[in-house]
Amino acid sequence: MKSRLIFIICLFFLNAAFIFPVSGNITGELNSIEQANHNLPDPIMIAPFVLLLVAIATGPVFYRHFWEHHYPKISISLGLITVLYYLIILKDLHSLTHSLAEFLSFIALLSSLFVASGGILIRINRKATPLFNSIFLLFGAVTSNLIGTTGASMLLIRPFIKINKDRIAPYHIIFFIFIVSNIGGALTPIGDPPLFLGFLRGVPFFWVLSNVWYIWLPVTLLVIGIFYVLDSLNKKGEQEETAYDGKFEFKGLKNLIFLGIILLAVFLDPAVISWIPGLGPFPFGIREIIMFLVVYISYKTADAEALKGNEFDFEPIKEVAYLFAGIFATMIPALQLIAHEARAMGEQLNAGTFYWATGLLSGFLDNAPTYLNFLSAAMGKFGLDVGIQEQVRQFVTDGSIYLQAISIAAVFFGAMTYIGNGPNFMVKSISEGAGIEMPSFFSYIIKFSIPVLIPVSILIWLVFFN
Amino acid sequence: MSSIEEVLKNKKSGLYYNNRLILPFKAHFLKVVVEHEIITDFSPASKGILIKEEKDFTDLYFHDFKNLKDVLSKYEAIKMVVVEKDKDIFNLNNHLKIAVYLKEKHEAVIEKTDEDILFIE
Repeated sequence: MKSRLIFIICLFFLNAAFIFPVSGNITGELNSIEQANHNLPDPIMIAPFVLLLVAIATGPVFYRHFWEHHYPKISISLGLITVLYYLIILKDLHSLTHSLAEFLSFIALLSSLFVASGGILIRINRKATPLFNSIFLLFGAVTSNLIGTTGASMLLIRPFIKINKDRIAPYHIIFFIFIVSNIGGALTPIGDPPLFLGFLRGVPFFWVLSNVWYIWLPVTLLVIGIFYVLDSLNKKGEQEETAYDGKFEFKGLKNLIFLGIILLAVFLDPAVISWIPGLGPFPFGIREIIMFLVVYISYKTADAEALKGNEFDFEPIKEVAYLFAGIFATMIPALQLIAHEARAMGEQLNAGTFYWATGLLSGFLDNAPTYLNFLSAAMGKFGLDVGIQEQVRQFVTDGSIYLQAISIAAVFFGAMTYIGNGPNFMVKSISEGAGIEMPSFFSYIIKFSIPVLIPVSILIWLVFFN
Repeated sequence: MSSIEEVLKNKKSGLYYNNRLILPFKAHFLKVVVEHEIITDFSPASKGILIKEEKDFTDLYFHDFKNLKDVLSKYEAIKMVVVEKDKDIFNLNNHLKIAVYLKEKHEAVIEKTDEDILFIE
Protein backbone atom coordinates (compact mmCIF):
# COMPACT_ATOMS: atom_id res chain seq x y z
CA MET A 1 0.00 0.00 0.00
CA LYS A 2 2.72 2.45 1.09
CA SER A 3 4.96 1.83 -1.90
CA ARG A 4 2.03 2.10 -4.31
CA LEU A 5 1.05 5.37 -2.70
CA ILE A 6 4.55 6.81 -2.99
CA PHE A 7 4.71 5.57 -6.54
CA ILE A 8 1.50 7.27 -7.61
CA ILE A 9 2.50 10.52 -5.90
CA CYS A 10 5.79 10.42 -7.82
CA LEU A 11 3.81 9.57 -10.90
CA PHE A 12 1.84 12.74 -10.44
CA PHE A 13 5.00 14.71 -11.06
CA LEU A 14 7.11 12.44 -13.22
CA ASN A 15 4.93 10.51 -15.60
CA ALA A 16 5.41 10.08 -19.32
CA ALA A 17 2.64 9.32 -21.78
CA PHE A 18 -0.42 10.69 -23.43
CA ILE A 19 -4.01 11.72 -22.87
CA PHE A 20 -5.98 14.74 -23.92
CA PRO A 21 -8.16 16.86 -21.65
CA VAL A 22 -11.37 18.19 -23.08
CA SER A 23 -14.44 20.11 -22.16
CA GLY A 24 -16.64 18.47 -24.71
CA ASN A 25 -19.79 20.29 -23.71
CA ILE A 26 -18.40 23.59 -24.94
CA THR A 27 -16.07 22.99 -27.78
CA GLY A 28 -17.89 20.09 -29.32
CA GLU A 29 -17.12 16.47 -29.81
CA LEU A 30 -13.59 15.35 -29.38
CA ASN A 31 -12.09 13.35 -32.15
CA SER A 32 -9.92 10.72 -30.52
CA ILE A 33 -8.29 9.80 -33.81
CA GLU A 34 -7.22 13.41 -34.20
CA GLN A 35 -5.76 13.28 -30.70
CA ALA A 36 -3.73 10.23 -31.45
CA ASN A 37 -2.03 12.12 -34.23
CA HIS A 38 -0.56 14.64 -31.81
CA ASN A 39 2.87 14.12 -30.32
CA LEU A 40 3.52 13.25 -26.71
CA PRO A 41 4.53 16.12 -24.45
CA ASP A 42 8.02 15.87 -23.06
CA PRO A 43 7.98 14.94 -19.33
CA ILE A 44 10.08 18.04 -18.63
CA MET A 45 6.97 20.06 -19.55
CA ILE A 46 5.50 19.11 -16.17
CA ALA A 47 8.07 21.44 -14.63
CA PRO A 48 5.99 24.66 -15.05
CA PHE A 49 3.03 22.93 -13.37
CA VAL A 50 5.13 21.72 -10.44
CA LEU A 51 6.83 25.12 -10.12
CA LEU A 52 3.50 26.92 -10.09
CA LEU A 53 1.99 24.60 -7.47
CA VAL A 54 5.09 24.91 -5.30
CA ALA A 55 4.94 28.71 -5.66
CA ILE A 56 1.25 28.74 -4.69
CA ALA A 57 2.03 26.60 -1.66
CA THR A 58 5.05 28.53 -0.47
CA GLY A 59 4.49 32.09 -1.75
CA PRO A 60 1.82 33.28 0.69
CA VAL A 61 3.72 31.73 3.59
CA PHE A 62 7.42 32.30 3.01
CA TYR A 63 7.69 35.34 0.71
CA ARG A 64 4.28 36.91 1.08
CA HIS A 65 4.91 40.46 -0.11
CA PHE A 66 6.86 39.39 -3.17
CA TRP A 67 4.11 36.87 -3.95
CA GLU A 68 1.30 39.39 -3.50
CA HIS A 69 2.95 41.78 -5.96
CA HIS A 70 4.09 39.27 -8.57
CA TYR A 71 1.80 36.21 -8.54
CA PRO A 72 -0.08 37.25 -11.74
CA LYS A 73 3.18 37.54 -13.68
CA ILE A 74 4.51 34.24 -12.29
CA SER A 75 1.32 32.34 -13.06
CA ILE A 76 0.82 33.73 -16.55
CA SER A 77 4.50 33.34 -17.47
CA LEU A 78 4.56 29.67 -16.46
CA GLY A 79 1.27 29.14 -18.30
CA LEU A 80 2.73 30.78 -21.41
CA ILE A 81 5.67 28.36 -21.43
CA THR A 82 3.22 25.47 -21.81
CA VAL A 83 1.05 27.33 -24.31
CA LEU A 84 4.05 28.16 -26.53
CA TYR A 85 5.33 24.59 -26.26
CA TYR A 86 1.99 23.22 -27.48
CA LEU A 87 1.70 25.81 -30.23
CA ILE A 88 5.26 25.72 -31.56
CA ILE A 89 6.66 22.29 -30.73
CA LEU A 90 3.58 20.04 -30.63
CA LYS A 91 1.48 22.20 -32.97
CA ASP A 92 -1.50 21.16 -30.85
CA LEU A 93 -4.06 23.94 -30.65
CA HIS A 94 -6.78 21.44 -29.80
CA SER A 95 -5.61 20.70 -26.23
CA LEU A 96 -5.14 24.39 -25.51
CA THR A 97 -8.64 25.30 -26.73
CA HIS A 98 -10.19 22.62 -24.55
CA SER A 99 -8.25 23.70 -21.49
CA LEU A 100 -9.23 27.33 -22.12
CA ALA A 101 -12.89 26.31 -22.39
CA GLU A 102 -12.65 24.44 -19.11
CA PHE A 103 -10.96 27.38 -17.42
CA LEU A 104 -13.68 29.78 -18.60
CA SER A 105 -16.41 27.47 -17.25
CA PHE A 106 -14.59 27.17 -13.96
CA ILE A 107 -13.95 30.87 -13.44
CA ALA A 108 -17.48 31.79 -14.64
CA LEU A 109 -18.99 29.61 -11.91
CA LEU A 110 -16.64 30.73 -9.15
CA SER A 111 -16.79 34.45 -9.93
CA SER A 112 -20.57 34.50 -10.29
CA LEU A 113 -21.04 32.68 -6.96
CA PHE A 114 -18.48 34.97 -5.34
CA VAL A 115 -20.05 38.22 -6.51
CA ALA A 116 -23.69 37.18 -6.05
CA SER A 117 -23.11 35.91 -2.49
CA GLY A 118 -20.89 38.93 -1.68
CA GLY A 119 -23.97 41.14 -2.15
CA ILE A 120 -25.93 39.39 0.59
CA LEU A 121 -25.41 40.52 4.16
CA ILE A 122 -26.64 38.39 7.04
CA ARG A 123 -27.09 39.90 10.49
CA ILE A 124 -27.70 37.53 13.37
CA ASN A 125 -28.39 39.17 16.72
CA ARG A 126 -28.02 36.13 18.86
CA LYS A 127 -25.58 34.87 21.46
CA ALA A 128 -23.45 32.02 20.20
CA THR A 129 -23.56 28.72 22.06
CA PRO A 130 -21.81 25.45 21.16
CA LEU A 131 -25.14 24.02 19.99
CA PHE A 132 -26.07 27.06 17.92
CA ASN A 133 -22.58 27.14 16.38
CA SER A 134 -22.83 23.45 15.51
CA ILE A 135 -26.22 23.93 13.85
CA PHE A 136 -24.78 26.94 12.03
CA LEU A 137 -21.91 24.83 10.68
CA LEU A 138 -24.29 22.06 9.61
CA PHE A 139 -26.41 24.66 7.82
CA GLY A 140 -23.22 25.95 6.18
CA ALA A 141 -22.29 22.43 5.07
CA VAL A 142 -25.65 21.96 3.34
CA THR A 143 -25.58 25.48 1.88
CA SER A 144 -22.14 24.92 0.35
CA ASN A 145 -23.72 22.30 -1.92
CA LEU A 146 -26.16 24.88 -3.26
CA ILE A 147 -23.92 27.92 -3.70
CA GLY A 148 -20.48 26.37 -3.60
CA THR A 149 -17.95 26.31 -0.79
CA THR A 150 -16.75 29.71 -2.03
CA GLY A 151 -20.23 31.26 -1.94
CA ALA A 152 -21.15 29.69 1.41
CA SER A 153 -17.85 30.75 2.96
CA MET A 154 -18.29 34.33 1.73
CA LEU A 155 -21.86 34.45 2.93
CA LEU A 156 -21.49 32.82 6.33
CA ILE A 157 -18.01 33.55 7.73
CA ARG A 158 -18.89 37.10 8.78
CA PRO A 159 -22.06 36.26 10.69
CA PHE A 160 -20.23 33.31 12.25
CA ILE A 161 -17.46 35.60 13.53
CA LYS A 162 -19.97 38.23 14.64
CA ILE A 163 -22.09 35.92 16.77
CA ASN A 164 -18.91 34.63 18.39
CA LYS A 165 -17.25 38.04 18.78
CA ASP A 166 -16.99 37.77 22.57
CA ARG A 167 -15.56 34.26 22.51
CA ILE A 168 -13.89 33.92 19.13
CA ALA A 169 -10.80 31.71 18.93
CA PRO A 170 -8.84 30.38 15.94
CA TYR A 171 -10.51 26.95 16.21
CA HIS A 172 -13.85 28.57 15.27
CA ILE A 173 -12.37 29.65 11.97
CA ILE A 174 -10.49 26.40 11.39
CA PHE A 175 -13.62 24.27 11.88
CA PHE A 176 -15.52 26.66 9.63
CA ILE A 177 -12.85 25.99 6.98
CA PHE A 178 -13.08 22.22 7.61
CA ILE A 179 -16.85 22.03 7.34
CA VAL A 180 -18.23 24.91 5.27
CA SER A 181 -15.24 25.61 3.00
CA ASN A 182 -14.49 21.96 2.28
CA ILE A 183 -16.20 18.82 3.62
CA GLY A 184 -19.69 20.25 3.30
CA GLY A 185 -19.41 20.79 -0.44
CA ALA A 186 -18.97 17.13 -1.37
CA LEU A 187 -22.53 16.45 -2.47
CA THR A 188 -22.94 18.37 -5.73
CA PRO A 189 -20.69 19.57 -8.58
CA ILE A 190 -21.54 23.12 -7.52
CA GLY A 191 -20.19 22.36 -4.06
CA ASP A 192 -16.51 22.18 -4.78
CA PRO A 193 -14.39 23.01 -7.88
CA PRO A 194 -13.01 19.46 -8.36
CA LEU A 195 -16.51 18.05 -8.61
CA PHE A 196 -17.48 20.75 -11.08
CA LEU A 197 -14.50 19.80 -13.23
CA GLY A 198 -15.73 16.19 -13.04
CA PHE A 199 -19.18 17.33 -14.13
CA LEU A 200 -17.65 19.22 -17.06
CA ARG A 201 -15.89 16.01 -18.06
CA GLY A 202 -19.11 14.00 -18.00
CA VAL A 203 -19.80 12.81 -14.44
CA PRO A 204 -23.62 13.06 -14.08
CA PHE A 205 -24.75 15.93 -11.83
CA PHE A 206 -26.53 13.78 -9.23
CA TRP A 207 -23.97 10.98 -9.20
CA VAL A 208 -22.05 12.60 -6.34
CA LEU A 209 -25.13 13.08 -4.19
CA SER A 210 -26.33 9.50 -4.59
CA ASN A 211 -22.88 7.96 -4.11
CA VAL A 212 -21.29 10.18 -1.49
CA TRP A 213 -24.04 11.17 0.95
CA TYR A 214 -23.61 8.14 3.20
CA ILE A 215 -19.95 9.06 3.69
CA TRP A 216 -20.59 12.81 3.83
CA LEU A 217 -23.26 12.62 6.55
CA PRO A 218 -21.36 10.70 9.28
CA VAL A 219 -18.11 12.56 8.54
CA THR A 220 -19.80 15.98 8.70
CA LEU A 221 -21.55 15.06 11.95
CA LEU A 222 -18.35 13.63 13.41
CA VAL A 223 -16.30 16.76 12.67
CA ILE A 224 -19.12 18.99 13.96
CA GLY A 225 -19.27 16.75 17.05
CA ILE A 226 -15.56 17.34 17.70
CA PHE A 227 -16.17 21.08 17.26
CA TYR A 228 -19.07 20.91 19.73
CA VAL A 229 -16.88 19.34 22.41
CA LEU A 230 -14.13 21.89 21.84
CA ASP A 231 -16.58 24.80 21.82
CA SER A 232 -18.20 23.59 25.04
CA LEU A 233 -14.84 23.98 26.77
CA ASN A 234 -14.60 27.63 25.66
CA LYS A 235 -15.87 29.72 28.58
CA LYS A 236 -14.82 33.07 27.12
CA GLY A 237 -17.47 35.74 26.92
CA GLU A 238 -19.83 34.11 29.39
CA GLN A 239 -19.72 37.19 31.59
CA GLU A 240 -20.62 39.54 28.73
CA GLU A 241 -24.00 41.13 29.29
CA THR A 242 -24.83 42.16 25.76
CA ALA A 243 -28.56 42.18 25.04
CA TYR A 244 -29.67 40.04 22.11
CA ASP A 245 -33.08 40.08 20.47
CA GLY A 246 -32.53 36.84 18.55
CA LYS A 247 -33.31 38.49 15.21
CA PHE A 248 -32.01 37.38 11.83
CA GLU A 249 -31.77 40.16 9.23
CA PHE A 250 -30.83 39.95 5.58
CA LYS A 251 -29.69 42.65 3.17
CA GLY A 252 -29.44 42.17 -0.59
CA LEU A 253 -31.75 39.18 -0.69
CA LYS A 254 -32.46 39.83 -4.35
CA ASN A 255 -29.08 38.28 -4.99
CA LEU A 256 -30.69 34.95 -4.12
CA ILE A 257 -32.34 35.24 -7.54
CA PHE A 258 -28.90 35.56 -9.10
CA LEU A 259 -27.72 32.52 -7.16
CA GLY A 260 -30.74 30.64 -8.49
CA ILE A 261 -29.88 31.70 -12.04
CA ILE A 262 -26.32 30.42 -11.59
CA LEU A 263 -27.66 27.12 -10.27
CA LEU A 264 -29.95 26.68 -13.27
CA ALA A 265 -27.25 27.83 -15.70
CA VAL A 266 -25.01 24.95 -14.61
CA PHE A 267 -27.35 22.60 -16.47
CA LEU A 268 -27.33 24.67 -19.68
CA ASP A 269 -24.85 22.38 -21.30
CA PRO A 270 -25.26 20.63 -24.65
CA ALA A 271 -24.07 17.43 -22.97
CA VAL A 272 -26.87 17.66 -20.37
CA ILE A 273 -29.70 19.20 -22.43
CA SER A 274 -29.40 18.22 -26.07
CA TRP A 275 -31.23 21.24 -27.54
CA ILE A 276 -28.87 23.77 -25.91
CA PRO A 277 -26.73 25.05 -28.78
CA GLY A 278 -22.94 25.01 -28.50
CA LEU A 279 -21.19 28.21 -29.52
CA GLY A 280 -18.17 26.58 -31.17
CA PRO A 281 -15.59 27.59 -32.22
CA PHE A 282 -15.77 29.95 -29.26
CA PRO A 283 -14.30 28.39 -26.10
CA PHE A 284 -17.40 29.18 -24.04
CA GLY A 285 -21.11 28.48 -24.15
CA ILE A 286 -24.43 29.99 -23.14
CA ARG A 287 -23.83 28.90 -19.54
CA GLU A 288 -20.64 30.94 -19.27
CA ILE A 289 -22.25 34.00 -20.88
CA ILE A 290 -25.09 33.86 -18.34
CA MET A 291 -22.68 33.46 -15.44
CA PHE A 292 -20.48 36.37 -16.50
CA LEU A 293 -23.62 38.50 -16.96
CA VAL A 294 -24.60 37.58 -13.40
CA VAL A 295 -21.18 38.83 -12.22
CA TYR A 296 -21.76 42.19 -13.89
CA ILE A 297 -25.44 42.69 -13.08
CA SER A 298 -25.33 41.37 -9.50
CA TYR A 299 -22.41 43.69 -8.70
CA LYS A 300 -23.93 46.73 -10.41
CA THR A 301 -27.29 46.27 -8.71
CA ALA A 302 -25.95 45.12 -5.34
CA ASP A 303 -27.07 46.74 -2.11
CA ALA A 304 -24.23 49.18 -1.19
CA GLU A 305 -24.85 48.56 2.51
CA ALA A 306 -24.44 44.82 1.99
CA LEU A 307 -21.22 45.31 0.02
CA LYS A 308 -19.87 47.64 2.70
CA GLY A 309 -20.90 45.25 5.46
CA ASN A 310 -19.14 42.41 3.62
CA GLU A 311 -16.14 44.67 2.92
CA PHE A 312 -16.46 43.45 -0.66
CA ASP A 313 -13.31 43.27 -2.73
CA PHE A 314 -12.60 41.65 -6.11
CA GLU A 315 -9.05 40.78 -5.08
CA PRO A 316 -9.74 37.17 -3.91
CA ILE A 317 -11.48 36.20 -7.16
CA LYS A 318 -8.87 38.05 -9.19
CA GLU A 319 -6.24 35.95 -7.46
CA VAL A 320 -8.14 32.74 -8.21
CA ALA A 321 -8.51 33.77 -11.87
CA TYR A 322 -4.80 34.48 -12.36
CA LEU A 323 -3.62 31.39 -10.55
CA PHE A 324 -6.04 29.04 -12.25
CA ALA A 325 -5.25 30.51 -15.67
CA GLY A 326 -1.70 29.30 -15.02
CA ILE A 327 -2.83 26.00 -13.51
CA PHE A 328 -5.18 25.12 -16.37
CA ALA A 329 -2.44 25.81 -18.91
CA THR A 330 0.45 24.13 -17.13
CA MET A 331 -1.52 21.04 -16.11
CA ILE A 332 -2.21 19.96 -19.71
CA PRO A 333 0.98 17.89 -20.05
CA ALA A 334 0.53 16.44 -16.54
CA LEU A 335 -3.00 15.33 -17.38
CA GLN A 336 -1.93 13.85 -20.65
CA LEU A 337 0.98 11.97 -19.19
CA ILE A 338 -0.47 10.58 -16.01
CA ALA A 339 -3.20 8.34 -17.43
CA HIS A 340 -0.79 6.34 -19.52
CA GLU A 341 1.26 5.43 -16.48
CA ALA A 342 -1.89 4.37 -14.70
CA ARG A 343 -2.77 2.17 -17.66
CA ALA A 344 0.65 0.57 -17.37
CA MET A 345 0.32 0.02 -13.62
CA GLY A 346 -3.16 -1.44 -14.00
CA GLU A 347 -4.05 -3.82 -11.20
CA GLN A 348 -1.51 -2.46 -8.74
CA LEU A 349 -3.73 0.54 -8.02
CA ASN A 350 -6.78 0.06 -5.83
CA ALA A 351 -9.38 2.51 -4.55
CA GLY A 352 -7.43 3.01 -1.30
CA THR A 353 -4.36 4.05 -3.24
CA PHE A 354 -6.37 6.60 -5.18
CA TYR A 355 -8.03 7.82 -1.99
CA TRP A 356 -4.74 8.54 -0.21
CA ALA A 357 -2.86 9.80 -3.25
CA THR A 358 -5.66 12.18 -4.26
CA GLY A 359 -6.17 13.24 -0.67
CA LEU A 360 -2.59 13.93 0.30
CA LEU A 361 -1.92 15.90 -2.84
CA SER A 362 -5.24 17.77 -2.57
CA GLY A 363 -4.20 18.94 0.87
CA PHE A 364 -1.00 20.53 -0.33
CA LEU A 365 -1.75 21.37 -3.93
CA ASP A 366 -5.01 22.71 -5.17
CA ASN A 367 -7.66 20.01 -5.10
CA ALA A 368 -9.21 20.81 -8.51
CA PRO A 369 -6.24 19.88 -10.75
CA THR A 370 -5.39 17.02 -8.38
CA TYR A 371 -8.88 15.55 -8.84
CA LEU A 372 -8.52 15.73 -12.62
CA ASN A 373 -5.09 14.13 -12.57
CA PHE A 374 -6.27 11.17 -10.55
CA LEU A 375 -9.54 10.85 -12.43
CA SER A 376 -7.39 10.67 -15.52
CA ALA A 377 -5.13 8.07 -13.86
CA ALA A 378 -8.04 5.93 -12.59
CA MET A 379 -9.67 5.96 -16.01
CA GLY A 380 -6.34 5.05 -17.55
CA LYS A 381 -6.36 1.93 -15.40
CA PHE A 382 -9.53 0.89 -17.24
CA GLY A 383 -8.11 1.93 -20.59
CA LEU A 384 -10.52 4.89 -20.69
CA ASP A 385 -9.89 8.47 -21.67
CA VAL A 386 -10.89 11.37 -19.39
CA GLY A 387 -11.13 13.52 -22.49
CA ILE A 388 -14.10 11.62 -23.91
CA GLN A 389 -17.45 12.13 -22.17
CA GLU A 390 -18.87 8.73 -23.17
CA GLN A 391 -15.87 7.06 -21.59
CA VAL A 392 -16.22 9.15 -18.43
CA ARG A 393 -19.85 7.94 -18.19
CA GLN A 394 -18.68 4.37 -18.69
CA PHE A 395 -16.15 4.85 -15.91
CA VAL A 396 -18.89 6.18 -13.62
CA THR A 397 -20.46 2.70 -13.88
CA ASP A 398 -17.37 0.50 -14.14
CA GLY A 399 -15.10 2.36 -11.73
CA SER A 400 -17.64 3.79 -9.30
CA ILE A 401 -15.56 2.99 -6.22
CA TYR A 402 -12.53 4.79 -7.70
CA LEU A 403 -14.55 7.87 -8.59
CA GLN A 404 -16.04 7.85 -5.10
CA ALA A 405 -12.57 7.63 -3.51
CA ILE A 406 -11.17 10.42 -5.69
CA SER A 407 -14.21 12.69 -5.17
CA ILE A 408 -14.26 12.24 -1.40
CA ALA A 409 -10.52 12.64 -1.03
CA ALA A 410 -10.26 15.73 -3.27
CA VAL A 411 -12.99 17.53 -1.33
CA PHE A 412 -12.31 16.37 2.23
CA PHE A 413 -8.52 16.67 2.13
CA GLY A 414 -8.80 20.18 0.69
CA ALA A 415 -9.30 21.20 4.33
CA MET A 416 -5.90 19.87 5.34
CA THR A 417 -4.04 23.16 4.77
CA TYR A 418 -4.77 26.80 3.96
CA ILE A 419 -3.84 26.12 0.34
CA GLY A 420 -5.89 22.96 -0.21
CA ASN A 421 -8.95 24.79 -1.49
CA GLY A 422 -9.65 28.34 -2.72
CA PRO A 423 -12.02 29.43 0.06
CA ASN A 424 -9.59 28.41 2.84
CA PHE A 425 -7.33 31.35 2.20
CA MET A 426 -10.28 33.68 1.68
CA VAL A 427 -11.70 32.76 5.08
CA LYS A 428 -8.27 33.19 6.67
CA SER A 429 -7.91 36.64 5.05
CA ILE A 430 -11.39 37.76 6.15
CA SER A 431 -10.67 36.58 9.69
CA GLU A 432 -7.34 38.38 9.82
CA GLY A 433 -9.01 41.44 8.35
CA ALA A 434 -11.35 41.22 11.34
CA GLY A 435 -8.35 41.31 13.65
CA ILE A 436 -8.22 37.59 14.50
CA GLU A 437 -4.68 36.22 14.74
CA MET A 438 -4.77 33.01 12.74
CA PRO A 439 -2.39 30.06 13.13
CA SER A 440 0.56 29.87 10.75
CA PHE A 441 0.60 27.42 7.84
CA PHE A 442 2.34 24.71 9.90
CA SER A 443 0.52 25.44 13.12
CA TYR A 444 -2.78 24.88 11.27
CA ILE A 445 -1.57 21.43 10.21
CA ILE A 446 -0.02 20.40 13.51
CA LYS A 447 -2.71 21.72 15.86
CA PHE A 448 -5.81 21.01 13.80
CA SER A 449 -5.41 18.95 10.63
CA ILE A 450 -3.32 16.14 12.10
CA PRO A 451 -5.34 15.68 15.31
CA VAL A 452 -8.77 16.05 13.69
CA LEU A 453 -8.70 15.35 9.96
CA ILE A 454 -6.12 12.58 9.73
CA PRO A 455 -7.95 10.24 12.16
CA VAL A 456 -11.23 10.98 10.35
CA SER A 457 -9.56 10.26 7.00
CA ILE A 458 -8.14 6.96 8.28
CA LEU A 459 -11.61 6.01 9.50
CA ILE A 460 -13.12 6.73 6.07
CA TRP A 461 -10.40 4.64 4.43
CA LEU A 462 -10.89 1.72 6.83
CA VAL A 463 -14.67 1.68 6.41
CA PHE A 464 -15.07 2.48 2.71
CA PHE A 465 -11.87 2.04 0.72
CA ASN A 466 -9.68 -0.51 2.47
CA MET B 1 -6.09 69.79 17.98
CA SER B 2 -9.26 67.67 17.98
CA SER B 3 -9.98 64.70 20.17
CA ILE B 4 -11.04 61.45 18.50
CA GLU B 5 -14.60 61.92 19.76
CA GLU B 6 -14.72 65.40 18.19
CA VAL B 7 -13.36 64.10 14.91
CA LEU B 8 -16.05 61.40 14.84
CA LYS B 9 -18.79 63.79 15.92
CA ASN B 10 -17.86 66.51 13.41
CA LYS B 11 -17.12 63.97 10.68
CA LYS B 12 -13.70 65.44 10.19
CA SER B 13 -11.69 63.56 7.59
CA GLY B 14 -8.03 62.74 7.38
CA LEU B 15 -5.83 62.53 4.30
CA TYR B 16 -3.82 59.87 2.53
CA TYR B 17 -1.00 59.95 0.01
CA ASN B 18 0.27 56.61 -1.23
CA ASN B 19 1.36 54.77 1.94
CA ARG B 20 0.98 57.78 4.23
CA LEU B 21 -2.18 58.25 6.26
CA ILE B 22 -2.72 61.55 8.09
CA LEU B 23 -5.19 61.45 10.97
CA PRO B 24 -6.48 64.73 12.50
CA PHE B 25 -6.01 63.56 16.09
CA LYS B 26 -3.43 62.12 18.44
CA ALA B 27 -3.98 58.76 20.04
CA HIS B 28 -2.52 55.67 21.64
CA PHE B 29 -2.62 53.02 18.92
CA LEU B 30 -3.30 49.45 20.06
CA LYS B 31 -4.09 47.61 16.86
CA VAL B 32 -4.24 48.53 13.18
CA VAL B 33 -5.58 46.21 10.49
CA VAL B 34 -5.02 46.85 6.77
CA GLU B 35 -6.56 44.17 4.61
CA HIS B 36 -5.29 40.98 6.30
CA GLU B 37 -2.24 42.62 7.86
CA ILE B 38 -2.63 42.87 11.63
CA ILE B 39 -0.22 45.40 13.14
CA THR B 40 0.35 45.53 16.88
CA ASP B 41 4.03 46.47 16.94
CA PHE B 42 4.23 50.26 17.05
CA SER B 43 7.79 50.42 18.36
CA PRO B 44 10.35 52.44 16.37
CA ALA B 45 11.79 49.10 15.19
CA SER B 46 8.49 48.03 13.62
CA LYS B 47 8.91 47.10 9.97
CA GLY B 48 5.22 47.41 9.16
CA ILE B 49 4.33 50.88 10.38
CA LEU B 50 5.85 54.15 11.50
CA ILE B 51 3.71 56.49 13.61
CA LYS B 52 4.86 60.08 13.78
CA GLU B 53 3.07 62.63 15.91
CA GLU B 54 2.99 66.21 14.67
CA LYS B 55 1.53 69.23 16.45
CA ASP B 56 -2.02 68.85 15.14
CA PHE B 57 -2.12 65.49 13.48
CA THR B 58 -0.61 62.02 13.36
CA ASP B 59 1.22 60.51 10.41
CA LEU B 60 1.05 56.78 9.81
CA TYR B 61 3.43 55.30 7.22
CA PHE B 62 2.58 51.75 6.12
CA HIS B 63 5.87 50.30 4.93
CA ASP B 64 4.40 47.09 3.51
CA PHE B 65 2.30 48.94 0.97
CA LYS B 66 3.32 51.27 -1.84
CA ASN B 67 -0.13 52.75 -2.17
CA LEU B 68 -2.93 52.08 0.29
CA LYS B 69 -5.57 52.78 -2.34
CA ASP B 70 -4.28 49.84 -4.38
CA VAL B 71 -4.98 47.31 -1.64
CA LEU B 72 -8.30 48.57 -0.35
CA SER B 73 -11.54 48.52 -2.32
CA LYS B 74 -14.12 51.25 -1.74
CA TYR B 75 -15.94 48.93 0.66
CA GLU B 76 -12.84 48.11 2.72
CA ALA B 77 -11.43 50.14 5.57
CA ILE B 78 -8.27 50.48 7.62
CA LYS B 79 -9.42 49.44 11.08
CA MET B 80 -7.90 50.65 14.32
CA VAL B 81 -8.25 50.29 18.06
CA VAL B 82 -7.23 53.63 19.59
CA VAL B 83 -7.42 55.42 22.93
CA GLU B 84 -7.64 59.19 23.45
CA LYS B 85 -4.32 60.60 24.62
CA ASP B 86 -5.66 61.86 27.94
CA LYS B 87 -7.64 58.73 28.79
CA ASP B 88 -6.73 55.61 30.74
CA ILE B 89 -5.40 53.07 28.24
CA PHE B 90 -6.05 50.22 30.70
CA ASN B 91 -9.76 50.88 30.87
CA LEU B 92 -11.30 48.78 28.08
CA ASN B 93 -14.25 51.16 27.91
CA ASN B 94 -11.88 53.80 26.53
CA HIS B 95 -10.86 51.60 23.61
CA LEU B 96 -12.38 53.01 20.44
CA LYS B 97 -12.73 51.02 17.25
CA ILE B 98 -12.56 53.19 14.16
CA ALA B 99 -12.63 52.52 10.44
CA VAL B 100 -10.89 54.73 7.86
CA TYR B 101 -12.25 54.61 4.30
CA LEU B 102 -10.09 55.96 1.49
CA LYS B 103 -12.15 58.15 -0.83
CA GLU B 104 -11.41 60.34 -3.84
CA LYS B 105 -9.08 63.35 -3.70
CA HIS B 106 -6.97 61.90 -0.88
CA GLU B 107 -9.81 62.11 1.61
CA ALA B 108 -9.71 59.55 4.45
CA VAL B 109 -13.17 59.30 5.99
CA ILE B 110 -13.08 58.35 9.65
CA GLU B 111 -16.01 56.49 11.19
CA LYS B 112 -16.71 54.59 14.35
CA THR B 113 -16.99 50.93 13.25
CA ASP B 114 -20.63 50.06 12.87
CA GLU B 115 -22.18 46.73 13.77
CA ASP B 116 -21.59 45.26 10.34
CA ILE B 117 -17.87 45.82 10.28
CA LEU B 118 -15.99 42.82 11.57
CA PHE B 119 -13.37 43.87 14.04
CA ILE B 120 -12.28 41.80 16.99
CA GLU B 121 -9.98 43.59 19.40
